[in-house]
Amino acid sequence: MSEQQNFKVTIDNITIEVPAGTTILNAARMIGGEVTPPAMCYYSKLEGSGGKCRTCLVEVSKGSEKDPRPMPKLVASCRTTVMDGMEVKNITSEKVLDARKGVVEMLLINHPLDCPICDQAGECHLQDLSYEHGASGTRYEFDRRTFEKEDIGDYISLHMTRCILCYRCVYTADQLTNKREHGILDRGDHAEISTLLGKSLDNEFIGNVIDVCPVGALTDKTFRFKNRVWFTKPVDAHRDCPTCSGKVRLWMRGDEVFRVTARKDKWGEVEEWICNDCRFHKKETKDWVIEGPSKIDRHSVISQGHYVNTEKPHVLIDKVIGKQPKLLLDIHKVSDVNRRDVDLSKIEGPAHSDDFKKNQ
Amino acid sequence: MKLLLEHAHVEGIRYYDTYRKHGGYRSVEKAFKMTPEEIVEEVKKSGLRGRGGAGFPTGMKWSFLAKPEGVPRHLVCNADESEPGTFKDRYLMEFIPHLLVEGLIVSSFALGSNATYIYIRGEYAWIVDILEQAIAEARNNGWLGKNILGTGFDCEIYVQRGGGAYICGEETALIESLEGKRGNPRIKPPFPAIQGVWMRPTVVNNVETLAAVVPIINMGGDEYAKIGVGRSTGTKLLSVCGNVKKPGIYEIDMTQSVEEFIFSDEYCGGIANGKKLKACIPGGSSVPILPANLLLKTAKGETRTMSYESLSDGGFATGSMMGSGGFIVFDEDQCVVRHTMTLARFYNHESCGQCSPCREGTGWMYKILKNIEYGKGKMSDIDLLWDIQRKIEGNTICPLGDAAAWPVAAAIRHFRDEFEWHVLNPEESQKRNYGLAHYADPIHIPATA
Ligand SMILES: Cc1cc2nc3c(=O)[nH]c(=O)nc-3n(C[C@H](O)[C@H](O)[C@H](O)COP(=O)(O)O)c2cc1C
Ligand code: SF4
Ligand code: SF4
Ligand code: FES
Repeated sequence: MSEQQNFKVTIDNITIEVPAGTTILNAARMIGGEVTPPAMCYYSKLEGSGGKCRTCLVEVSKGSEKDPRPMPKLVASCRTTVMDGMEVKNITSEKVLDARKGVVEMLLINHPLDCPICDQAGECHLQDLSYEHGASGTRYEFDRRTFEKEDIGDYISLHMTRCILCYRCVYTADQLTNKREHGILDRGDHAEISTLLGKSLDNEFIGNVIDVCPVGALTDKTFRFKNRVWFTKPVDAHRDCPTCSGKVRLWMRGDEVFRVTARKDKWGEVEEWICNDCRFHKKETKDWVIEGPSKIDRHSVISQGHYVNTEKPHVLIDKVIGKQPKLLLDIHKVSDVNRRDVDLSKIEGPAHSDDFKKNQ
Repeated sequence: MKLLLEHAHVEGIRYYDTYRKHGGYRSVEKAFKMTPEEIVEEVKKSGLRGRGGAGFPTGMKWSFLAKPEGVPRHLVCNADESEPGTFKDRYLMEFIPHLLVEGLIVSSFALGSNATYIYIRGEYAWIVDILEQAIAEARNNGWLGKNILGTGFDCEIYVQRGGGAYICGEETALIESLEGKRGNPRIKPPFPAIQGVWMRPTVVNNVETLAAVVPIINMGGDEYAKIGVGRSTGTKLLSVCGNVKKPGIYEIDMTQSVEEFIFSDEYCGGIANGKKLKACIPGGSSVPILPANLLLKTAKGETRTMSYESLSDGGFATGSMMGSGGFIVFDEDQCVVRHTMTLARFYNHESCGQCSPCREGTGWMYKILKNIEYGKGKMSDIDLLWDIQRKIEGNTICPLGDAAAWPVAAAIRHFRDEFEWHVLNPEESQKRNYGLAHYADPIHIPATA
């Protein structure tokens, strides 16, 4: 075998060397920060995923050292591998930003926008995406799409109206269970996630579809309406599980375990799959060995109120534009609630705006 | 000039004996005396371009086929023909099925495919029987099966019926469907030439493309290339529909002017019922519509001819495409808004739904067009439509997104006044049509890019 070859790729004026075969998206993730395109359907742990949502489109302004011609169309960065000497534009391309805005708009025109009653709110990738790339109003003047409600069992709730058809849950079932029991029926804008004849999903690993779902289409029934995620505190814990790794994240309030999920990395992807038993049945502190507070991105609303173990965002904008941007306002300096010295998790019971004043 | 349809009207040509009597299967005999590489070379020399829509040179496509040791390769014939306005493959398969079978045997030999598939549109149910009978006849006469004519070459042809989805005509969706999966287009690369059916190297070609291999081998690639004009070599089948006196299938050598094709008695025979020509979609529903003036002459004022090059002269700003050869003619009584709405509904219904811009955008465009058509439109809707099609085009997995965007773009580009008239005259537009307006006037270059 020849030695592992490295390719040089430049994304938004930042150059990095990556192993041959790396996708543009993964190369951008290695750089991190703003130059990383948003990915709503790609999931590095799911083979064959990606290419569908089109949020990760980028412009290839130089194909490679050997063939410097630019690519004629924008390409899905999650499914396009880098070539040596390739130059890619993400946030430095007007074309990309315009197309991405279009994609976000398309994802939203039929979305119910029922965030106030959606359990995914606070950790929803579509919320993040619209916040960063969307428009403030809609140009869509028609009724939003609805579906007949389907019950898919005791553990998972399906809200088809929120689904963005990323196919992640389909790949998950294909790759984690030996028999997939749900899939996408019909086609086009009437395509829907469904099970055959209303069968319920009960494979012992099927709960993972909840974690891979970027939106609130698949949520944990045992956590339904129990709490907003940002009022619970994420804690890493493990147990000796005969079925899975037993490494999980508990979402707690005081001593109470509200929800169990897999641990996710900074791209929002599951680190290790967990079984249904850990996820749905082990809801007491005594079931678990607590390791400590989880690392949380400081951008996330979940970091609100408990700054313990938050991660500073990786800011690269100065390198991309070649100078320091002028900061108009640092929200952390003026906000009443976003304060580092207040740790919500130490407060008994629900948090209240008074809690912030008290500590001043 | 007729190559494919030369014997189409011979009584009994559907059956083996008659077909053979009229020179059928000669190309197989000739091909078996050549090497597969020589056959590919002849097809390259012929300049044959794919007849399925994109017009990609067939010889070149064949030479891209990967040939890894010990991995079977496949030839797949795309008979899904579902593009509105296109019905030429149906004619070929229904009336001279042996021509396709013959072309498939030669092509399978050239590509090394021992199992060749015809993926046929679900609605063509009765043609399945016709094809299967032709295949059985060919096998009974030694043209298919094991060790054909003692050459050591084995080949079987299987007919697979589709479920009736337009998207399964897209080659990678077709492959998925052939494998028994949901017909979603694959993300390319890898291309079928490297990983196609069951991840094996595969060539997908249109029915007419594969039928054209027969005359190419019979007469030689160089001779075939002399027919036609420029890079539009050989003959092309056109399925004509709409307001002409003689709709139907025509085989042309692409040298005719569009005017001659529409108005001469040899072809369409002019516009029916003494009406005037308003517009035409020259290559199937996906390609841009052209108003009469830009159809008959290019923007430069030259006569437009029925060749690949001439039909696309001027790009999308003032030209169109040969596409799949579905020639749809509109007379002065036809409403462009209504027609565009119909197409938008089609693409909305046929989108596979994998990628967001196509899944959501096609439905959105259809709803807006419905509003405009039924007198509920706003002026800003026209610009919104333009923006939506722009957001779809080029940003999707497969060309269905483009195919949905182009008709809308072309309609607005060339017939914007008709859309505006609908918006400004909601009541009147429900009662009468806009008519000819200036579309038959001397050429004016539209302002919208
Ligand atoms: C949405 C869509 C539908 C298509 N339908 C057909 C079809 O019905 N028949 C066909 O031959 N090609 C169809 N094509 C083109 C095929 O993808 C492919 O290019 C063609 O079969 C190649 O054959 P050719 O090189 O002989 O033209 C379609 C493409 C798209 C994007
Ligand atoms: S349910 Fe969730 S994971 Fe499944 S396709 Fe829809 S959005 Fe994707
Ligand atoms: S462009 Fe449309 S039909 Fe093609 S893959 Fe995307 S959603 Fe499916
Ligand atoms: S993440 Fe690349 S297309 Fe969805």
